[in-house]
Amino acid sequence: MARGEIELVTLTKEFADVTAVDGINLDVPAGEFFSLLGPSGCGKTTTLRMIAGFEQPTSGQILLDGTDVAYTPPHQRSVNTVFQNYALFPHLNVFDNIAFGLRRTKRPKDEVKQRVGEALELVQLGGYEKRKSSQLSGGQQQRVALARALVLNPAVLLLDEPLGALDAKLRKALQIELKALQQEVGITFLYVTHDQEEALTMSDRLAVMNGGQIEQIGAPRDVYEDPETLFVADFLGVSNLMDAQVVSAAADGCRVAVDGFELETRGSDTAVMGAAKIVVRPERVELEEHGAPEGPNRLPGMVERLVYVGSAVQIMVRAATGETLQALVQNTGAAIPFDQGTPVQLHLPADALRVLPAPAD
Amino acid sequence: MAENRRAAQFSPLTRARGWLRNPWGRPRFLVVVTWAYVLWSIVPVLIAVQFSFNATRSRTIWQGFSTRWYWGDPVDSVWHDPTLRHALVQSFKLAGADVIVAVPIGVLLALGLARWHGRGAGTSNFIMLFPLVTPEIVMGVSLLLIFTQVFTIVGTGTFAQLLGHVTFSISYVVVIVRGRLFSIGRQYEEAAADLGASPAVALTRVLLPLLTPAIVASAAVVFAISADDFVISSWLSSGGGTDTVPIRIYSATRAAPLPSVNAIATIMMIVTLLSVTLGFLTWRAFTRDERGQKTDDLGALGL
Repeated sequence: MARGEIELVTLTKEFADVTAVDGINLDVPAGEFFSLLGPSGCGKTTTLRMIAGFEQPTSGQILLDGTDVAYTPPHQRSVNTVFQNYALFPHLNVFDNIAFGLRRTKRPKDEVKQRVGEALELVQLGGYEKRKSSQLSGGQQQRVALARALVLNPAVLLLDEPLGALDAKLRKALQIELKALQQEVGITFLYVTHDQEEALTMSDRLAVMNGGQIEQIGAPRDVYEDPETLFVADFLGVSNLMDAQVVSAAADGCRVAVDGFELETRGSDTAVMGAAKIVVRPERVELEEHGAPEGPNRLPGMVERLVYVGSAVQIMVRAATGETLQALVQNTGAAIPFDQGTPVQLHLPADALRVLPAPAD
Repeated sequence: MAENRRAAQFSPLTRARGWLRNPWGRPRFLVVVTWAYVLWSIVPVLIAVQFSFNATRSRTIWQGFSTRWYWGDPVDSVWHDPTLRHALVQSFKLAGADVIVAVPIGVLLALGLARWHGRGAGTSNFIMLFPLVTPEIVMGVSLLLIFTQVFTIVGTGTFAQLLGHVTFSISYVVVIVRGRLFSIGRQYEEAAADLGASPAVALTRVLLPLLTPAIVASAAVVFAISADDFVISSWLSSGGGTDTVPIRIYSATRAAPLPSVNAIATIMMIVTLLSVTLGFLTWRAFTRDERGQKTDDLGALGL
C-alpha cells in the first residue's frame, strides 16, 4: 500500500477569540499534489500546522494512513515541512542542516553522507555542502529546505507558501521544478498558498478555503471553470459578476434575465431559482464591432478603458445592463479595433456563463 | 555654466548661511555635541588613570611616570597592601560566582517566560523588570533585613553578598536572553521538532547554540555590573575581609587617598572593559551570519 494518505475528519481549531479552522473534512490520497488555497486568515496555514503537529486540534481527527495522529507530538510524525521562510538552522552549514533529521534517527555515518549527497543532487545543489545558509540565495535556501525535508523520506511533505519570498520569475521556474520533483519522488505534497495561479499550475487537486471552511474541492480545471460559490469564482482569477433573475431552469441549461436582457446559460445548477449571480471569465467575453448581427447572449456596451498588460489587453466595457465587464483580448500583434468611448457589442457565450446562488444576506 | 555664474553672485554671508543650512550636508552640530559628550565623560576617567601612574603620593600634581602604585611600592601598592589586594580578590570572586549562578538561572527563566503564555505570564514578565528599576539602596536594605532577621542563617558576608548580586543580576540575563529568544522566534524549534528532534534535543542542538551569543553577552554584563556594585555589596558586607574594590575605594577616598586607589580603580575598569568587549565580540562573531536580515537585538537594548 502506498503511504501518505491524509484524511481530515471534522477538524477544528479554535483560538482564544477566533475559530481558525471550522470542522473541515478532507481526503487526500497517497501520492497526490494537493493544494490548500485561500486568502490570508482563511485557516489554511493552521490546517497545515495541525497536520505537522505544531498546533493541537480543538477537535476532530487527522488520519495519516488510517492512524489518528492528532495527538502525536511533531517529532514522532512521518511528515516533514518546508517552512515559509525556510527556517534553515543558521548555526549549521548546508550538510548539517540536511543531516539534522537523519542524525536524530541514529543512522550510520556513511548512510547519512550518502543520503545527504543524494538529496542535494535531487535539488541540484551538489557541492554546496559546506556553505552556510546565509551564503545562499533565496532560491537556494528554498532548495536546501526541500532537501532537508525530503531526505527523511516522509509519507507526506507539507509546504507552507514555500515560494512566497521569491521573485516572480524564480517562482515560475520553481513551480515547474516542484511539480516535476513531486512526480519523481511520488510523495504526497500538501501545498499551502494564497496564489491562485500557483495552485492551478501545480496541483492535481485543490481545496479553496475561506473563513475556516472549505468552499470547493476539485481539479484545477473544475474549480476554475465551474466555481460552486461566488467566493471561489472571485478568488480564482478575475470574474465578471452580474445580478440576474433565473427565469427558467432545465437540465441542459437555463434562461436568466439581466436588467431586461435575457441570456442563456448551459449546464448550470438547476436548483437555483429567482435571484442569482452570473459569472463569466474575462477571457471568455467576446467583443464584436458595433452593428454586427445581433443574436442570443449579446449585449450592447461602451468601451470605458483599455489597459495594456503585455501579453493581453484588458478592455473594460460598460454593458447596457449597467455593470462594467472586463474582457481579456490576447495580444496577437494586431491592432485592437476598439477605442475608448466607442460602442461595442458584447457576446457572452452560453457555455461561459455560470449561474451561482446569490449570497444570502 | 549659467548656474555656476549665478551662484558666484551670492554674498559671502548668504553662502555661509547656505553652508550651515544645507540639508544634504553632514550633521555638523550633532557631531560636535556627540564629541563634546564623549570628552566630558571620558576625560575625568583618563585623568584618574593617569594619576595611578604618578611617581609621588600626590593625586593632583603630575610628577613623572611610575608603576609603584601597582606593585613597586613595598607597603602601599595594590600588590603589597593586603586590604587592596583582598578587595580585588573579593570583587572578582563575587563577580565570577555571580556569573556562574545567575546566568544559568536567568537563561532558564528567560526560556520559561518566553514560552509561557498562560495566566500570570504577563505579570511575571513585568515583575522580572523590577530589579532593574528598584533603587539599589532599597534592595540592599531589604536584603539586609531579610538576611539578618528572617533567614538568619545567611547573615552578612560573602554568601549574603553573592545572593544579593544574583538577585539583581538575573534580571539582566533574562532581559538579554529573552530579547534574543524573541528575535529567534519559534521557527527553529519547530523545524527541529519537524525533523524528529525531541524537545530536549531541540533545546541542546538548536536553541542553546542560537542563544550562545546572548548567554556570553549576559555573562559579560553580569560580571561587569557585579564588579561595579557598591551599594548592595556594602550593605551585605561583614566588614574587613568582605570589602570589595568599590567599598575599599569609597573608604580610602574619605581618609587620605594615595594613587594606589587610582591604580585599583584602573585595574577594575580594564577588567570590566575586557569582559564587556569579549561579550560584544562573541555576540558579533556568532550573529555575523544572521545580520542584515534581522535587527540587532542587542543594539535594540542599547548595549
